[in-house]
Amino acid sequence: MADYDVIVIGGGNGGVSAGALLAKQGRKVLLLEQSSAIGGCCSTFEKDGYKFDVGASIVEVIKPIEMAFAKLGTTFQQEVDLIECDPVMSIIDRDGSRITLPKSIDATAQIISSISPDDGRRWYQYVELMREFTDVALEAFFPVAADTLADMAKMFAKHPTFLKFLPLFAKSYQDVMEYYFKDERIRKAMGYQSLYFGHPPALIPGMFALIPYTEHRGVYYPRGGMIQIPEAFRRCGEKLGMQVRFNARVKKVKVRNRRVEGVVLSDGTEITAKVVVSNINAKTLYLDLIGAEHLPALVKTGIRSYQYSKGVPMIYVGLDYTPPLDSHHSLIAVTPQGVNDYWFNHVEKGILPENNFGLICWPTHADKSLAPAGHHVLNLIPEGFYRLSGTTWDAEKPRFIERTLKALDRFAIPGLMEHIKVIECTSPLDFERRLLLPEGSIYALQQDLTAAAVFRPNARSRAIKGLYLTGSSTHPGGGVPTTIASGLIASNLIAQHEQ
Amino acid sequence: MKKIVCLGIIGTLFYGYTQLTDSKKRYIKELVRQMPYLVPRYFV
Repeated sequence: MADYDVIVIGGGNGGVSAGALLAKQGRKVLLLEQSSAIGGCCSTFEKDGYKFDVGASIVEVIKPIEMAFAKLGTTFQQEVDLIECDPVMSIIDRDGSRITLPKSIDATAQIISSISPDDGRRWYQYVELMREFTDVALEAFFPVAADTLADMAKMFAKHPTFLKFLPLFAKSYQDVMEYYFKDERIRKAMGYQSLYFGHPPALIPGMFALIPYTEHRGVYYPRGGMIQIPEAFRRCGEKLGMQVRFNARVKKVKVRNRRVEGVVLSDGTEITAKVVVSNINAKTLYLDLIGAEHLPALVKTGIRSYQYSKGVPMIYVGLDYTPPLDSHHSLIAVTPQGVNDYWFNHVEKGILPENNFGLICWPTHADKSLAPAGHHVLNLIPEGFYRLSGTTWDAEKPRFIERTLKALDRFAIPGLMEHIKVIECTSPLDFERRLLLPEGSIYALQQDLTAAAVFRPNARSRAIKGLYLTGSSTHPGGGVPTTIASGLIASNLIAQHEQ
Repeated sequence: MKKIVCLGIIGTLFYGYTQLTDSKKRYIKELVRQMPYLVPRYFV
């Protein structure tokens, strides 16, 4: 008799949502989290009265999250106080000029038309295509298992309109964006978002070009910080009997005759279970926790072939003034080609750029409770990567912080340097140390076409019976709604295959 | 005759490739580079 029906390794969104949904099925669930907080990258920490989000900064495309909470007998809105962010994005150029885009499609069209009437017309064509694609993808692709060709065939048979969008998979993000938008200033508003998926616009499939549109379907911030989302799943799960153990690092997944038997913790404790759900990086799971000796040759080759996804540094600042920004999210303007140049000339060579770009997140724009009265919080995501040439992140960090903040002070956030009260930085190396993300890989594995859907590690392992995967490592990939979709998929598969 | 047809197809493909934008070339090159891993990845 096993100690538990299901052990979940890792309390990120995929793990905690799967745990809660499996508890709802009446299973005895134990969730093991190596740190002292739930949520992984979607978490929040406090320093000197300021609350900072570890990584994830907003939530959009919320349908998979709504589906998960509906299965738990509640609603997303009931469990988490969502604040809608409008405007959805402000784009700041190096000359200080700004374009601020509201949620409204029509108002955005007017702003684009004022810069380029042709692009304004094409904005509507782009929106029409992406609206239809997003609607179909949310039904057919995101919350559905994509482990086998049979799964894909079922997906297309059930939603034949999905076939219409196959050309988007043959084009790159850049192809799509440059087809619709010709003006350099508009392209600068649409280039960066490809990095939300971990790749530059030249290397990522055109289907991901939906992001600049989906922001206009609604961008939300949970009151109290991003941790409120995984906390809501934990609360629901615990009400249903799910147990959560913090500071419990899993050292081994016990396997016999290619079937899971349980886990061994780093303190030597053995816990048995019929099913193990892994929410950690799939390479770590298969090669370290399970061990290559338990894997068929083809699986070993496959798992070793994945590259880790990109890592990012985060700089968190607490301020004693209101930063002169227009929106919860501000981007430092960069064209799709600019992002490619950064990728091929800096990321691949390990050289941090002098003139960086990235994302500025201003959570106290939506939720003032995250800082003392009159104070504000900024979470800065300047571009960066794990492997540095000729230096290390520990050595480079102070210089990187200073260079980033001075540049932002100069053209994007005047007064920033004088008003900093608290400062923290998490480098990709720190992400590796604290959250156990190999190489700081926030999306676990590469997210291009050759590592998507049936080519991403399966939600239901074919190599090891009783093993299921959630989180960024499996379909549909990295991101808040997508990892929660993976929790939904795993719980559905377990209901189907594990009686 | 077969040789001429083959050469014609290869020549057309080569010409088509040279006409692509840099972005498209990079996208195709990366897909081709990852092709050998598709079968093993399918079984992971």
